[in-house]
Amino acid sequence: MNSIAVNDLHKTYAGALTPSLQGLSFSFAEGKIAGLLGPNGAGKTTTISIICGLVKASAGTVKVFGLNQESGSREQIKRVLGIVPQQIALFPQLTALENLVYFGNLYGFKGKALKDKVMAHLEAFGLENAASKEIGKFSGGMKRRTNIIAAILHEPKLLVLDEPTAGVDVQSRSMILQFLRDYNAKGNSVLYTSHLLEEAQQICEDVAIMDEGKLVVQGSPAALVNALPDCRNLEDVFLHYTGHALRD
Amino acid sequence: MLRLIATIRKEWLLLRRDKAGLALLFAMPLVLITVMALIQDAPFKDYQEVKFDILTVDNDQGRLGRYIREGLGASGQFNVIDSIGNEPLTETRAQQLIAEGEYKISITIPKGATAEIVSNANKIVNDISKRMGLASQLPVKAVVADSLAVQLYFDPASKKAFKSAIQQALDNFLTQVQTDLLLERIQMQLRSRDSAAAQDTFPAIRLKAVGLKETGVGEGKQIDVISNSVQHNVPAWSIFAMFFIVIPIAGNMIREREDGSLVRMKLIPGNYGSILSGKLLFFVGICVVQFYLMMLVGIYVLPLLGLPRLQLGVNHAAGLLTAASIGVTATAYGILIGTLFKTPNQALNFGAISIVILSAIGGIWIPLEVMPDTMQRIGRMSPLSWGLDAINDIYLRNGNIRYVLPDVLRLLGCGAAMLTIAAVVEQRRAG
Repeated sequence: MNSIAVNDLHKTYAGALTPSLQGLSFSFAEGKIAGLLGPNGAGKTTTISIICGLVKASAGTVKVFGLNQESGSREQIKRVLGIVPQQIALFPQLTALENLVYFGNLYGFKGKALKDKVMAHLEAFGLENAASKEIGKFSGGMKRRTNIIAAILHEPKLLVLDEPTAGVDVQSRSMILQFLRDYNAKGNSVLYTSHLLEEAQQICEDVAIMDEGKLVVQGSPAALVNALPDCRNLEDVFLHYTGHALRD
Repeated sequence: MLRLIATIRKEWLLLRRDKAGLALLFAMPLVLITVMALIQDAPFKDYQEVKFDILTVDNDQGRLGRYIREGLGASGQFNVIDSIGNEPLTETRAQQLIAEGEYKISITIPKGATAEIVSNANKIVNDISKRMGLASQLPVKAVVADSLAVQLYFDPASKKAFKSAIQQALDNFLTQVQTDLLLERIQMQLRSRDSAAAQDTFPAIRLKAVGLKETGVGEGKQIDVISNSVQHNVPAWSIFAMFFIVIPIAGNMIREREDGSLVRMKLIPGNYGSILSGKLLFFVGICVVQFYLMMLVGIYVLPLLGLPRLQLGVNHAAGLLTAASIGVTATAYGILIGTLFKTPNQALNFGAISIVILSAIGGIWIPLEVMPDTMQRIGRMSPLSWGLDAINDIYLRNGNIRYVLPDVLRLLGCGAAMLTIAAVVEQRRAG
């Protein structure tokens, strides 16, 4: 089964002159770490927003583990989906523990079981000593790690991460990437977007490169690199398909 | 239920850590109502509560002058001043003192005023006697003085309402003197006719068959009682302060949208409405606490500053319901502003200015009843006016829940409408 299957997806925002998505189609098999890559304005965030059910598609279908986003399965999809947004989607005035207990409560967890679960995650991410510290006083790396914990409290089968390593130090990045491998090793799927193509090449088993709202190419990083004789890495493949023109 | 309670707890933790927000919500309103009640105390005092110095020049030295002086003194509203520095007051000196703004009012009773009234009364009695075939005639002045009048001088800065009140009071005294003298002359004439009858048993003529009596009422929809500065200002400015909760709510909503926590909350299975309800309940609770803290200031603190004690009426359940309904409307307004605007700055400016406008037209600054008709009609569309009306109904007219229900329903309906608009806007954004 596919973790995600996007078929002929179109999206034009109200008032926009050009469409954000124009017939985008791709799918990722269940249990893989997949990368959705593309230059600025390619439509990655719109695609993720439609997958999560935050934005309605103008046309096309999105299926998450076979559940159709547009056919009343939205609540079921939410249960199997964990989102790590690019922003630190936490309350800066609350401590890490308070934030995570709050989001845990929203998922329906409570009491000692929730607190134990939160503390276990904090320990796994090296944050156990910062549990009572306000998020606003955390370093960038600590915030990113807590941001990930908030998305995995309900142990989603598919974890979607938007630039999870942006602005973090090498140690934090290494820990986050190792976490993604470990999480995937438990049989979960991961969809990841990043501008760090070296990182994507390192951890993704399958990548889809998109530009101007359409899929440009899809395959494993190694297969994509091997298919183009003049390309040595994923970055070369990316530039080959998306060009050198600046995107603002 | 867990989502609702968790959200209330989360909002409480956020507020507890926001010292500036706490000050804005609790300390500032308490200072505001204290200051407003103090500075608006004088304009709100009735003429009964304020004693005015009134310069009295009595050139008549007769019964009219005595009546007016005694009447003014007995009313309790005036200090009658007829001499300055042991010097009897003259009309010229009185005019000078008024022109200099030292005093607000002066009256001059003209020479011969009493004689003129007596002569007029005698003339009427003589006329009646003649028609009844009676012989005895009372003395009448041969020449009638033209335009003999009690002269009034007002400070040019005096308000029109103040002038009319004084004129009315003096007019009453004049009528009273003239009526008394006329009745006395009639009685005198009747006595002379029935001289054989025992004078002591002659019945007194009673003119006032029907009088006036004021009785307090528990119910009555006229908005005609603004008893004092505290009774108006404390509830009015409390409602104003409660509406200022839109600033932290809108800021809170915009921050949640900007930092992505709103997205996270929406992506969690379950209805986002329960999270929003938790937020709504929390802030309504804050509004109610705010309101009653301010009422406590009206009851316990303002009397220490020489102001009257706030009266809460007798129906406390109706008071609580109204306070909660105002809280719902204010919170819903905050949610609407937080949804419509993209930055905290936009929300703060629009929120603050719109509340000031709604409060000004809604009778918070000055009672609606003293505004022109058009403004009154516009003002009655302000939710702040509905809240104030309901509170006045409870506190001043002892109204109960049934009595304030129309205003409460208006407030809740307005709150529901604003939440619906916010939901539609949010849904359109997703589209």
